[in-house]
This record gives sequence, structure tokens and C-alpha cells, in this order.
Amino acid sequence: MATEARILQPQEMAPRTIGRSILLTLPIGLWSVLMFSQFWGPNRSVQIASVMTPVFMIALFFMMMRTRSTYRWRRWFFVALGLLFPVGFIHTVMVMRGTMGIPIEEMIAGRTPFCFLPIPLLILPAAFTKAVVFPGSILPHGGMSGGGMAAMAGVWLAITIVVGKGWCSYACFFGGIEEGMAAVPTRAKLRKIDPRWRYGPWAVLLAMVLLSLALFEPAYCMWLCPFKAVSEYVAARNTVGMVQNGIFVVLFAGLVIALPLLTKKRTQCAFFCPFGAFQSIFNKTSVFDVKIDRTRCSPCVLCKTACPTLSLTDESIAQGETLMSCMKCGACVDACPKQAAVWHIKGTEVAVKPERARLMFLYAAWGVAIMFGGRIIADGLATILHVFI
Amino acid sequence: MASCGPVLVPSLLTERAGWRLNTRYLSTFLGARFLGYLLFAAVAWELGALVSIAPGPRMLVIGVVHVLLGCVLLWYAYSAGHRCAHACSGSELVTVGETKRRGVAGPAALGFLTGLSLCPPFVAAGVRAAELGSVAAALLFFAVFFVGTSIWFVPFVGLGCITRNEAVITVARMAMVLIALYYGYLGLTMLLGRKVYGY
Repeated sequence: MATEARILQPQEMAPRTIGRSILLTLPIGLWSVLMFSQFWGPNRSVQIASVMTPVFMIALFFMMMRTRSTYRWRRWFFVALGLLFPVGFIHTVMVMRGTMGIPIEEMIAGRTPFCFLPIPLLILPAAFTKAVVFPGSILPHGGMSGGGMAAMAGVWLAITIVVGKGWCSYACFFGGIEEGMAAVPTRAKLRKIDPRWRYGPWAVLLAMVLLSLALFEPAYCMWLCPFKAVSEYVAARNTVGMVQNGIFVVLFAGLVIALPLLTKKRTQCAFFCPFGAFQSIFNKTSVFDVKIDRTRCSPCVLCKTACPTLSLTDESIAQGETLMSCMKCGACVDACPKQAAVWHIKGTEVAVKPERARLMFLYAAWGVAIMFGGRIIADGLATILHVFI
Repeated sequence: MASCGPVLVPSLLTERAGWRLNTRYLSTFLGARFLGYLLFAAVAWELGALVSIAPGPRMLVIGVVHVLLGCVLLWYAYSAGHRCAHACSGSELVTVGETKRRGVAGPAALGFLTGLSLCPPFVAAGVRAAELGSVAAALLFFAVFFVGTSIWFVPFVGLGCITRNEAVITVARMAMVLIALYYGYLGLTMLLGRKVYGY
């Protein structure tokens, strides 16, 4: 027997009052103060950045509470994170090394900064040989970024268990650039995308894990990471180095700049990123997900069109679910005119108090965003301010 | 196991599910690999340690093998698409794979080529074979070497338990293309006499 659609109360759809929104924002405000009090320093540009960043993060969260909308406010944070990460990172690299290119001496010395992307590629070599194939330190403060592998892997694991693939929308410092690019055009020029491209990240993951084991090197970092173009690259001392850097630049230009502009999708995340595929598995461990309330769904497929990663199909909508590649960005929830796309906590009934589920998810995800991304934004901002002040 | 993984895992995933079918595939692969071993043993013994040690000829042989391996993987990915075309045409995840018996050319070609070059201890074994007193001893040495290394292939039979559907076949095909490009590039680099890594 079909369940009757629950009628939404007017107060469930209307904007919240300012007072109630402030009240709901209060925990995030306290968290921000706690996090950014450690960032405060004698440098004036750092002081300004350590005030501006929490204000920015708190204001966005307040607007999420006030408007009940997630995606459009989160996007400001995510784009800022994507744009400011290279600023702060390149500045650090240039100050400490004098170049964005990593010479072999730095690799042998284990001073290569570690990001989370190679984590899935290191598991098999570590399991079979008890050795880490990445040329960096596993100790805290190891590597040029100041974060060793153990610290980065620990942060990633803790966040992942809670928010699942929400990592890709609230913590990853790479996806923001393409999300910003995707937001530029008003309409997509390329609308027909073969859905089989969705399997791209899994293919890259499979190929890179196998090659990393065979070659005993982080194959993705060596050959395919588009973000080497805006962070650091292999010092090109011969033809092969030039080829490697050429691949990085072409992938970045294609997947992070051109295709998002043409498709209005996060093409690198949706069709290429092996870490994203790996992270999809952890959507199973997270208690939060997005569901489609079938009793309320028309279906108009506006959610499917809005999804930046093609994580909704006609079949999945009919089943009331997103695909496991869902990054929990909230685009589908915001796009649905009938509030059929809802935030959900596993084990509870779908569409019963979805706003409560959204709040619980957002407290976790935004806490992560402030702790992880907020610091990166502040670093980048301080670097820019330092030029003028 | 690690060296053959990039070739074996995706190609095996484009085959039909079932441990019996996978065992047959693996047998063909290993049989051809064995032939590659014996050929290498005979050549290594005939030429002394030349092929195993001298960088020029070794790079030439390995470069050609890598390019061929890349070509075979590309062909395999392409032909897997044809096998999948009818059953994969729908958006539903369905069990795919041709019903009639598969040929042996694909796994045999991949097995033979990986048998010639990819395994790191292989070069060391070639040196040992070259030092032996007779060609029969060299062949026996490589036969035993083959048996010892083949044990590591047994876990690959487990891939037969993975249900084949559009997603698995497509992922395997895409991965094969990526690996083929890498091997092709690596082979060309060797043939052109460049350093493998850009440091």
C-alpha cells in the first residue's frame, strides 16, 4: 500500500526567523572562535585573515539556517577553498624551496608534501610489502606542508567515517575550482553526457592501484593528477619530466576548466578522480545520505539535472535513492520544487523531519569545513593581504 | 603477481563470471607465459648474459614488448566493448558476456608478452640461466621458476566471483585503456632511449 505524502507545514518551508537562525548558528560560531584563535599571530595580514575567515564561515552557515538552502551557500565556501588553496600552498612552497618543482633530492629526503589523493594507492603496496611508496614522512610535521602522512590519513579517516563522501564537498581543497567554473555559465552547452563516464573514477582507481603496486610508486601523483598544475610538479629535468607536466596541464585545462564550463558539472570529480571513487565506498559507513521521497516526487528530474556529479538517474530516483557517488552537496535538495529530495539519517523513516537530518549533517560537515578548509582559506587570504599590507 | 596485475586484473574482469571460466582463462595465460619463459631461457643461455644484462638490447626487447602489450590491451578493451555492446545497451546493470566459448588468442598474447619482460626477478633469473652448463638446465631452471611464481596467480581465480555487469565491464575496459597507454608510452620511451622517469 502506497504511503500518503506527508503535507509539509508552512513553517517547514518558510525562511527561519533571524533569532532562531542565530541560535542555530551559535555552536558553529563557538567552534569557529575555537579554531581560529590558534591562527592569530603578530602579522597584521594574518590577524585580518583570522577575523575575516570565521566571519565568512559563520555568515554562510547563518544563511543556510535562515534560508534552509544548502548548496548555494556551501558553494561560496567551496570555491573560496579551491581558489585560495593554491595561493597559500604555492607561497609556502616558494618560500621554503624557491620553486614549485620537486627535485629528486627532496623526494629522497622524504620532504614531499602529502595530500589525501594517494591514500588509496598506498594501501596495496603497504599491505604486501610493509612499505609506504610515497616519498614523504609519516611523522607529524613531516613534509613541506607541515602535515605528515599519518596526520593527513588520520584527519581523513575521522572525517570520512562521519560524513562519507561529503568529504568531496566540504573538505577537499581541489574540487572548488571546477565548481566555480561550473557556476559561470547560465546554461550548459554540453548537455548530453554518456552516463558510462560515471565509471571513469573507478577505472582510474583500478588502473592506478594496480600500477602503483607494480611500479612501486604513487602512479597517480606521477602521471595523472590534474592539480599538479596548481600546486607542485615534478621538476622537469628531461623529456619525460616535460611529458609528465604536459599531462598535468592538459588534464587541468580539460577537466577542471573547460569541461565544467561546457557542462556545468564537476567533471574532474565525477569522471576522473580516483580518490572520489574510493571515497564512495565510505558513503556506506556514513549515517547521512540523501533520499527521494517517492510519495512526493513528480518526477520532474530537476534534481537529476542539478546534480553536479551525475549521481541521480531515472532508475535511482524511482528507487528513492542517490547513487553511491553522491557527494552530499545539497544541489538536488535545493532544486526540488516539491521538497521530495531530502536529507536523511540511516535507520529513520524517509522525509520525517528531514530538516533535523540536514541540521545534524551540516553541524558535522561545517565543523569539518571550518577546521580543515577554514585554515586553508585563512592561509590563502593572509598571503594575498600580505601583498597589500 | 604485482607486475602482472595491471594486465591480468582488468582483462580478467572483462570475461564472464565463474571460477571455472576464470581458471580456463588463467590456464591459457599461464601456459603462454610459460612459453615466454622457455623462449627467454633458451635465448638467455644462447647469448650468455647479453640479453639479461646489457642495457641496450634489454631496453630494446622490453620496449618492444611494452608497446606490443599496450596494443594488445587496447585491442582487448575494444573487443570487450563489442562483446558487451548488445547486453550493455540498456542503462540497467545486467549480467553480460558472450554465451559461446571464448578464444584463447587474447589471454595467450597477454600471457606470452608478460612472460617475456614484466617480472622484476625475471632479469636476475635470466642471468642465472645464462650461467648454467646446458640449454636443458636453463630450460629446467625457468620451468621451476615458472612453477614457483605461478602460485601467486591462484588468488586471481577469485575474480571469477565478482558479478559482471555494465559497470564492471566498463571500468575494466577504461582501466585497460589507461594501462595500455602507460605501457605504450613506457615502451616508446625505452625505444627512444630516454630515461624512464623525469627526475
